[in-house]
Amino acid sequence: MYLADFHLHSNFSDGKLSIPALVDYYGKRGFGAIAITDHFCEQTTLIGRASSYLGVTLTAATFPIYREILKSEQERAWDQYGMCLIPGVEITKNSISNHRSAHFLVLGNLDHIDPNQDIRELSDRVRPEGALVIAAHPVSTQKIEKQTFHLWDRRYELASKVDAWEVASGPYLFDEVRYSGLPLIANSDFHSEKNMTSWKTLLSCEKKQEAVLQAIKKQQLDFQFYREEPKRESSYTSIPWIMGPQLGHYGMGNVASLQAVSK
Amino acid sequence: MGWGTWLAFKQFQNRREQKPTSLAPVSILKPLKGVDEGLVENLESFFKLNYPVYEILFSVTEKTEPAIAVVQELLSKYPSVDAKLVCEPQNTGPNPKINNLMTAYELAQHDVVLISDSNIRVKPNYLLNLVPDLSDSVGIITAVVAGVSAKGLGGWLEASYLNTFYARWMVLTKKLGFPSVIGKSMLFKKSTFKRIGGLKTLGHYIAEDYMAGHSIQKLDLTVELMRSPIEQFIGPYSYQNFWARHLRWGRIRKSIAPIAFLIEPLFFSTVSGIIGSFSLKALFGFSPLLVWFSHMALWGICDGLIYGLMDQFSWKALGAWVIREALAPLLWISILSGNTVSWRGRDYQLLKGGLLAEGRTT
Repeated sequence: MYLADFHLHSNFSDGKLSIPALVDYYGKRGFGAIAITDHFCEQTTLIGRASSYLGVTLTAATFPIYREILKSEQERAWDQYGMCLIPGVEITKNSISNHRSAHFLVLGNLDHIDPNQDIRELSDRVRPEGALVIAAHPVSTQKIEKQTFHLWDRRYELASKVDAWEVASGPYLFDEVRYSGLPLIANSDFHSEKNMTSWKTLLSCEKKQEAVLQAIKKQQLDFQFYREEPKRESSYTSIPWIMGPQLGHYGMGNVASLQAVSK
Repeated sequence: MGWGTWLAFKQFQNRREQKPTSLAPVSILKPLKGVDEGLVENLESFFKLNYPVYEILFSVTEKTEPAIAVVQELLSKYPSVDAKLVCEPQNTGPNPKINNLMTAYELAQHDVVLISDSNIRVKPNYLLNLVPDLSDSVGIITAVVAGVSAKGLGGWLEASYLNTFYARWMVLTKKLGFPSVIGKSMLFKKSTFKRIGGLKTLGHYIAEDYMAGHSIQKLDLTVELMRSPIEQFIGPYSYQNFWARHLRWGRIRKSIAPIAFLIEPLFFSTVSGIIGSFSLKALFGFSPLLVWFSHMALWGICDGLIYGLMDQFSWKALGAWVIREALAPLLWISILSGNTVSWRGRDYQLLKGGLLAEGRTT
């Protein structure tokens, strides 16, 4: 079993660490799989364009370099830490209204990413190519920040287009999502080291991109709270995850392990 | 202004010789296009380097390229130097320089690569002073360019630009953590560039040098400046060439960093002088004309000091400086008015972030 986190930001958008630094940070803590998912804002809105000017999003110009660095770091993550690095982006559609704002992750195949496309079109395009689409922090994150409710408002019509919904973002657990019956995933939305204390996903599949994506799709996963101890950099504790109704087939019972996962 | 001048002084006053430590073999790549005055001497200076192991790869895009004759003459004059000519352009994207260089880059035998433009003339110890600084934490070493041997109005304006504003800008941006990379001289490791997808990734950008520096920083590696400026042989240069070149550079800056471009006039001597003089009049009642002339004189002295560091200051240089400072706001307005650039006989549409749309021949 190993810990995984599929929502990390690097300094290609608004994260503090570079991609190599993220690989080292998670690799040293024994994570088995991570996905780097920088913001890629749609360019048809004023907010999206402003984000480009401020340099807090991927752009058509930086995206090719981002992909190349992810590719080379994938090899290093595996060679150095035995960790699976999955390329990703967070398609970011911000509007003044929270109910018109949506963030979703695309993991795996980034060949045909267009941030201006609607989630339905993009999902239809990338999922047959092996990518996953994940709704990011779909309900209130309980933080003073931009909220994104558009996907949650349309969760039933979008259910067939989204592979998983974030049940936790950082340290916050979303009860609405947890008991919704939708497929789940827990991520940290890591921007800097202070975001490390958060819910993570627990996997037991092979540490290969295809196997990891399949495990998410088939919901062969569990969740665990990871606490970064300030003085003991690589230690963590866990608190129980009382699993929702879908968890019967995970073979982990209704309560996730209370012990720290061995690294 | 004062800080930038001080930094430039600190950077270049001690042009001390480096104690050679690790002298890795180097592949020097020279993209060529046309035969400008001084080309023979510029290229020949690379055959006279004091360095244990290096190779020179000249690359051209056409078999009819006039620079081929110059290279062949040098190859037969220096048979002991490991040098060759490559004429096998590739199509990696719209950037003609990258397309020209790609095959030579692939043929380069050594991990350490220097891309050096044809108008650069170096001293024999150039590589000895440059290569030891390429440590594991350094991604690229670039250099401040000193414009030398200027002829004609355009040439003097170009020298004035390189030897004052641009030199200060490079050391200042380096200090602020946003180093500019100048494609005229880029030393790096192929193994480092492999991490960003190799040289071919840069073929889609007009400012391949800027994007190289930007990408390298994303790997947590630094961009360093060579300890001494390198010489760019300017020679005869028309006013039209000067204007076209700076229009191109300006539009590239605008496409890459539009907000920084918008506040650029605040760093022009004339504009900042006007703002300062009216501010001081409003605050303290000083005479605007007196303040403006004092400001310009002080600015001129600072620029003169940097010019002196880079090249010999002369009356012609002073005249060119006055004209250049007066032209700067007009050039900025001209840059603002469009998004196309002409480069090596082709027009290109600039897209956001320094991306290029395919050009058409003019």
